Amino acid sequence: MVSLANNEGRTLQYTSNKSHSIRIDSEICTGCVACTLACPVHAIRVRNGTAEVTKGDLCIDCGECLRVCPVQAVKSMTSQGKDLTGYKVLVALPSPTLYAQFGDIYTPNDILLALRKVGFDEVCDVALNCEMVVMAIGEYLERNTTIRPMISNFCPAVTRLILKNYPKLVDHLIPIEVPREIAADQMRRKVVRERNVDPSEVGIFHITPCPAKMISITDPVGVDKSNLDGAIAIRDLYVQLRSALKEIEDDWILQKSSGVGISWAIGRSSVRGLPNYTSLSVNGVSDVIQILDEVEAERLGDVDFLELSICPGGCVGGPLVVQNKHLAMSHIGNLIEQYGVRSRVDPRRIQKQFEQTYLLNKEKLTSRRPAPLDTDLTRALEKMARIEEILNQLPGKNCGACGAPTCEVLAEDVVQDEASVSDCVFLRIKELECESTRDRSNSES
Amino acid sequence: MFKKEFRIEGGDFQNAGSVSKQIKKILKQLNIDADVIWRAMIISYEAEMNVVLYAYRCIVTLTISPKCIHITFKDQGPGIPDISLALTEGYSTATREMRERGFGAGLGLPNIKKTADEFSIESTVGEGTTIDVDLQISAVI
Repeated sequence: MVSLANNEGRTLQYTSNKSHSIRIDSEICTGCVACTLACPVHAIRVRNGTAEVTKGDLCIDCGECLRVCPVQAVKSMTSQGKDLTGYKVLVALPSPTLYAQFGDIYTPNDILLALRKVGFDEVCDVALNCEMVVMAIGEYLERNTTIRPMISNFCPAVTRLILKNYPKLVDHLIPIEVPREIAADQMRRKVVRERNVDPSEVGIFHITPCPAKMISITDPVGVDKSNLDGAIAIRDLYVQLRSALKEIEDDWILQKSSGVGISWAIGRSSVRGLPNYTSLSVNGVSDVIQILDEVEAERLGDVDFLELSICPGGCVGGPLVVQNKHLAMSHIGNLIEQYGVRSRVDPRRIQKQFEQTYLLNKEKLTSRRPAPLDTDLTRALEKMARIEEILNQLPGKNCGACGAPTCEVLAEDVVQDEASVSDCVFLRIKELECESTRDRSNSES
Repeated sequence: MFKKEFRIEGGDFQNAGSVSKQIKKILKQLNIDADVIWRAMIISYEAEMNVVLYAYRCIVTLTISPKCIHITFKDQGPGIPDISLALTEGYSTATREMRERGFGAGLGLPNIKKTADEFSIESTVGEGTTIDVDLQISAVI
């Protein structure tokens, strides 16, 4: 049995946000507005002293809120220990990020062995599947030359950002299956075949640096159902793995990847894996938004492939990791040098699989635009005009004290009947000052 | 109807493109057809860059009605002596420094004219140039 560090036994007070990978615990939340200001899509408001994701349709599961919360009130809804019970066979699919969590003395192979030691019956070197995907991307780019740049789809937060806020770029998302899903499919077949169990008796879990992977499993895009059964946060398995690493005795070779797959952890695999194409790696929320604006303005047509990660530094900068991301980046760099940049994946096999559409998305992606200001343009224009009026009354401090991240957002909330102008603390102070001046002049006269 | 004004400072390369960005944000909020937004951006970006490169300052007036987006770029600047020449593709008065920055293909004004549904331009040498553009809003998604 695999035991996880987690908050089992505490009932989380869910506020809203049922179909997302984070929840805010209202018992712990102090209403400090850190998450409200940090959210890149303005999905969070502070109401009645606690933060809530009131605009679930805007949320992209980037985890910035989780990152900045000073009291850890934002919880990641990744798999807990009880989610692993009931399976006959447990399979671990670690993100290559895991290889950078334990310092230079442990090899990826050690870490894969440690996963077996903590209770997983099977493990898979997902980094190898990453290499397969990079090659498949190369195949795709060769056969499809009209849309440029094509954009990576393995970061669920980036995918959702595009589906919601850049619907024009949906066709730019590369329609190749992501490595963890390919690995899950392969492992399930393998385990069913070798151990003679029913597919439903196999529990396949991604070991993840971020909560977004969880939402890609519970509410996937591009497929009807995920091949994975859940995702475990790296930090929930860290202590157990650390102990297990000290006690490894087996010497099986489980690692099959090279630097091409391992570099996935820092979001730069396309640079090494696609030497015939111009690719650009961008990470971090504001840089990703900036580059997507450039793509939308058709200024990046010369780039073949954009590798985007919402987390700064790539997946090693995810909110659920343990190791400092700079140390992790450096370690990944060493691993890339050590294991080289020649993949053992056979390109001919990838070609064949590609022709059989094995590696392609099963469903076409459709945009998920959030609710507009108004579906009727005349009413939307009226609302826009009222927003401007209200904005002119507001102090423009974008302080968050009203519970909205900016004055402009408060103005919009007011027009949509979700807030009132008197929520603004500065306006209220002004009102009180006017009142007290009036009272004084009344009492003097 | 919705109306908003913006300002562009000539020579302000740091903020060049920010007015176009604000206009894009408004159009997206209004759920306007992506193709119309894209055309509005071509027009707005080219006009904004022309102001930054050649004029002293400019007032941009955005007027949106349910059927039409109207944008006026009224600048104070050296003005254009020969408008029909300026509208010729490839004709540019860009300096060497401007060309070094990637500008000066001579397609800005022709592109604005091509992309807009209605286009008018007038100019007085020594005073400035005014460009008026209309874009029909075909459908709201």
